[in-house]
Amino acid sequence: MDDASPPYAPIVLRHVTFTYAGASEPALRDVTLTVPAGQICAVIGRAGAGKSTLCALCAGFVPHFFRGRLDGDAVVDGLPIATHPIAELVRHVALVGSNAFSQISGARFTVYDEVAFGLENLGVPRAEMIERVEWALQALGIDHLRDRSPYALSGGQQQRMVIAAALAMRPPVLALDEPTSQLDPPAMAELADVLRALSRQGITILIAEHRLEWVAEVAERVVALDRGAVLADGAPADVLTDPRLCERRIGWPRPTQMAARARAEGRWAPDRPLPITVADLAAGWRAAAQDGAPRSAAVQSRSEAHDSRGATSAAEPIVSLEDVHFTYPTGVEALRGVSLTVRRGERIALVGRNGAGKSTLVRHLNGLLRPSRGRALVGGVDTRTTTVARCARHVGIVFQDVRNQLFARTVRDEIRFGPRNLGFSPEKVSALTEAAIDALDLRDVVDEHPYDLPPARRRLVAIAAVLAMDTPLLALDEPTAGLDNASIDALMRLIDDLAARRRSVLVVSHDLDFCYEALDRVVLMRDGRIALDGRFADLDCAQMEALTSEVGLPIALRLRCAGI
Amino acid sequence: MQRTGLFIERAGFLQRLNPLTKVTGALLLIGATFLLPAPLTGAALLGGALLPLALASLVARRFLDILLKTLLPVLISLALVQGLFFPTADPMTIPVGPLLFRRAGLQFALDTGSRLLVVAGAPLLLFQTTHPGMLVQALIQSGMPRSIGYILLVALQLIPAISERAVGVAEAQRARGLETEGNVVQRIRGVLPLVSPLIVGALVEAEERAMAIEARAFNAPGPKTWVRDIPDPPAERLARIVMLAALGAIVAGRVVMVFD
Repeated sequence: MDDASPPYAPIVLRHVTFTYAGASEPALRDVTLTVPAGQICAVIGRAGAGKSTLCALCAGFVPHFFRGRLDGDAVVDGLPIATHPIAELVRHVALVGSNAFSQISGARFTVYDEVAFGLENLGVPRAEMIERVEWALQALGIDHLRDRSPYALSGGQQQRMVIAAALAMRPPVLALDEPTSQLDPPAMAELADVLRALSRQGITILIAEHRLEWVAEVAERVVALDRGAVLADGAPADVLTDPRLCERRIGWPRPTQMAARARAEGRWAPDRPLPITVADLAAGWRAAAQDGAPRSAAVQSRSEAHDSRGATSAAEPIVSLEDVHFTYPTGVEALRGVSLTVRRGERIALVGRNGAGKSTLVRHLNGLLRPSRGRALVGGVDTRTTTVARCARHVGIVFQDVRNQLFARTVRDEIRFGPRNLGFSPEKVSALTEAAIDALDLRDVVDEHPYDLPPARRRLVAIAAVLAMDTPLLALDEPTAGLDNASIDALMRLIDDLAARRRSVLVVSHDLDFCYEALDRVVLMRDGRIALDGRFADLDCAQMEALTSEVGLPIALRLRCAGI
Repeated sequence: MQRTGLFIERAGFLQRLNPLTKVTGALLLIGATFLLPAPLTGAALLGGALLPLALASLVARRFLDILLKTLLPVLISLALVQGLFFPTADPMTIPVGPLLFRRAGLQFALDTGSRLLVVAGAPLLLFQTTHPGMLVQALIQSGMPRSIGYILLVALQLIPAISERAVGVAEAQRARGLETEGNVVQRIRGVLPLVSPLIVGALVEAEERAMAIEARAFNAPGPKTWVRDIPDPPAERLARIVMLAALGAIVAGRVVMVFD
């Protein structure tokens, strides 16, 4: 019958197994996947589950760039991957890797030219090229950056630029590896809109992604990978609520988790399906309220769960910044009068847009930068009169780019480095090292080279290496970027554990949901000043509005705002 | 953040020319300054060609600034050494304070020094008035391999990128209690944690960048196009032919002179 012929599928994988050269285990096991034209298909799974490999395979980088043994059939836009070189496949599929910085060609000096680079290589006529570049710049909201150097952009801006550069090539298939890892919530929403528009034009989109809430909003289909094999494949509402996701520690989107908790407590009708989006969660709760279910405590933050207010107000300060001003040699005034005290046992979220002064503030916590005006006291000592190495006894900082930090041959050596620098006894160094290894679940990789680990676990190694310094304050810059749910859970447990031992944590993050769940005090920065400093639990409507306009609101507070 | 080398963005005379014309002009100037036999060739070309061009291109101050800062020490030592010790039969001397300068030596120093200024000044003016991207594009369009052009451009942007990364590495390790100041032993202990993230990072990035440019169709077969047009009017093409002919004539004249 004519109408029985299936729609055209640009991605067809049949029983694909791939083992990287030198690896003992396959990265993909017997994967069979057919993605029809125009579908947005998200691939989820833990770090190392094979998501990136699947993306690379669909663009031919596996097996042509990353060598290994490929079994089974992989056909993309009608071309068998195994027999066509990347140079040919590139007209059919575009791949955007997860690290935006290293996706920059380096051969072009402005954002505009960078986006045009691929089109020049494809030989697109100039008039069409200009039209496509303009469109891609508009679509990703980076039109105003067109004359900037690609290297002068923030991480989020770079990520949008490399996606724009791929989009401009107008491939029938687009493979995106963790496209949101450096985006803030408004940029994530914009990217979702762009992808939906592309899919309506018939472009097939494959996305490897950790942020399940975003997957729930954008994907039309979800494939869950577990150790290289397909665990679940189907509609988002089915796959993202599949109990096996929790069993295999992939986790559920936050709205699903919240509803499941509510269901266990009798606040969510047992016959009502679990939601995957905030909108469905809100609708479900409204319905439950009408049915007379108990309304209160629909969502609880950590700050409500264990109130630390009384405990911390009198505690000794670890760091105090007193009216700190800081101007860079370039003349940029990054801090304009910041006063902030961090006491024992506090859990602080430092949030704000790019360029608000967060990074500059963090560098004042251990004397890497010293105030141009005002005072910074670390452990009671003015940073102008001491060294960074001495401040490091009080404050440990894990920077966002862990590549700058990792250098040792094994994970264990890497973690030992910090406590040894602080001059602890060998017994104490060992005890702290082993405790940090366990705290971040790194026991199985202690003898491996940090660079042989997937990026997510590499970040955990970087955190463990600073945790082992046993400082009263641990500052983490974007700790959840690229982490899977299991690792984020480990991080939350760590923060809880630290607070229980009266140690403080300060997290710089765009991930407001993580902040809300793991921390209790929120400090919002705007234009080098502190625009808001309070506890998540005590925020009033005006404060929530301030937060919304700058960085967005956590799901739980959005629900509270909506009166649920 | 400037990553365009010496280039100064101004709307001057040389900035409007095709990069190839400027390259040809620079070659002609360098050739002429060495091959023309007349004394003071360098000084004449500097005053008669380079300086007026720099003025017309609105970069004269920066041009002189860089040129003199780089070459002044060389010029002074040239004048001292050659002026005082130049082996010559010419008995003419010029007293400057207690020193007696030999005229022939000063003449030689002036001659050589002004030539040096032209040899360094011509490429300097070329790079100050030509965006490196446009220069490489023009060279590729006239036949240079694309891979070599790519390497030139990446090198230009990579060096500032590496120095930025070095700052990041130092911050990360100092935050882990690494003492980077202090005695020699402490500093030597600090080398490995400071250098190895830089090297490993650069290697990992090299692989990722190779992958990135593959993904951007760098090796795709077929003709290439360019988003930016580099105008090449007939007058400039003619000027290049004239300049090359002049250079050829100077070389030929010089060869004939040698064999005479």
